[in-house]
Amino acid sequence: MSESVGTNDASNKPVKVNKWDTNAVKNALDDACKKYFKETLNYTEFYTLMDRRLYISFVACLFSLFALVYDWLNPFPKSRLVLIICAAAYFVLMGILTFYMQFIERGKFYTGKLVDKAGLGPGSRCTIASKLKKYDDKYCLTLKYNEGKDDSMTSSGAFIRSVGNYFDENGVLCYNRIVADLKTIYDQARSNARKVK
Amino acid sequence: MHWSRKLINRLLRYAIVVSTLLMLWKSLVLATNCSRPILVVLSSDGYSFYNLGDLFFVTNYPADPIRTGDVVVFRIEGRFIPIVHRVIRVHEREDGYVKFLTKGDGSQVDDRGLYPVGQLWLEREQIVGKVKGYLPYLGLFVILLSNLPLVDRLLSGVLA
Repeated sequence: MSESVGTNDASNKPVKVNKWDTNAVKNALDDACKKYFKETLNYTEFYTLMDRRLYISFVACLFSLFALVYDWLNPFPKSRLVLIICAAAYFVLMGILTFYMQFIERGKFYTGKLVDKAGLGPGSRCTIASKLKKYDDKYCLTLKYNEGKDDSMTSSGAFIRSVGNYFDENGVLCYNRIVADLKTIYDQARSNARKVK
Repeated sequence: MHWSRKLINRLLRYAIVVSTLLMLWKSLVLATNCSRPILVVLSSDGYSFYNLGDLFFVTNYPADPIRTGDVVVFRIEGRFIPIVHRVIRVHEREDGYVKFLTKGDGSQVDDRGLYPVGQLWLEREQIVGKVKGYLPYLGLFVILLSNLPLVDRLLSGVLA
């Protein structure tokens, strides 16, 4: 417990990615943010957003699996009705999934909650979303901070910086730099939320 | 994040890709009303219009009657691979019952040697569909793939 103050674990295992692979770069930065929230700020991660997406995908795959098995056991003309139902259901679910990922999930890769240690005050919630376009170097990070029982105090912060600020020439992630930027907007959001109060 | 969630996330991503391809194929089956809308020619005789590696597009609309001269795909009991030959004779009854005789373009005799013992004519149910068009050479890739034993079994499993 006492060891977590001060030293960062990341310095032990530096993260190296292919610096030209946008996906890998974004994932590395997202993972660094998650790591900061988990280890330094002691937030616990909530997976509801991701879980809902997994459920939709799972149900869609069940439909497709059922269609495959049914068609295998009862060759085509007999299985027509089942195929129509399964195909329609599958594409409807894909539509729902696309809608969900586009409008509801929107790049949010972390939702965390911090429970007040003393147990007195209400906890705080934080949601982070990031965007990095395919061949672009601008990493946009948005942080939304909620405090209070019914989200009475909310504020958000964001920054857009080039990924070149966080990786060295060999593609090794400089954990301290991304954490520094994250800490700035987190503290800012927190103080803003408290000011509104 | 728990390793099981990460694993499920990864598995589902692959499963969605596979499922989408599968459902697109099944939708094509539904749209053409044919259990095998796309076929690859595996063997050919030198005189036919079709060659090894051709890709055939097959449809099976009930309102589209099968006439002499049409190239049809038919399946015989006991043979897994469907046969693509031309219809040379059609017999129709007033009640709508139809039967066909087929012959490969390159062969000297009709297909009665291929039909099961005792069967002289092809029934409508045995016909998978009518060939509507083809693309040459594209099927060669599928033939190459089917030489690998695992892929072969996978393809035949999906296409049933």
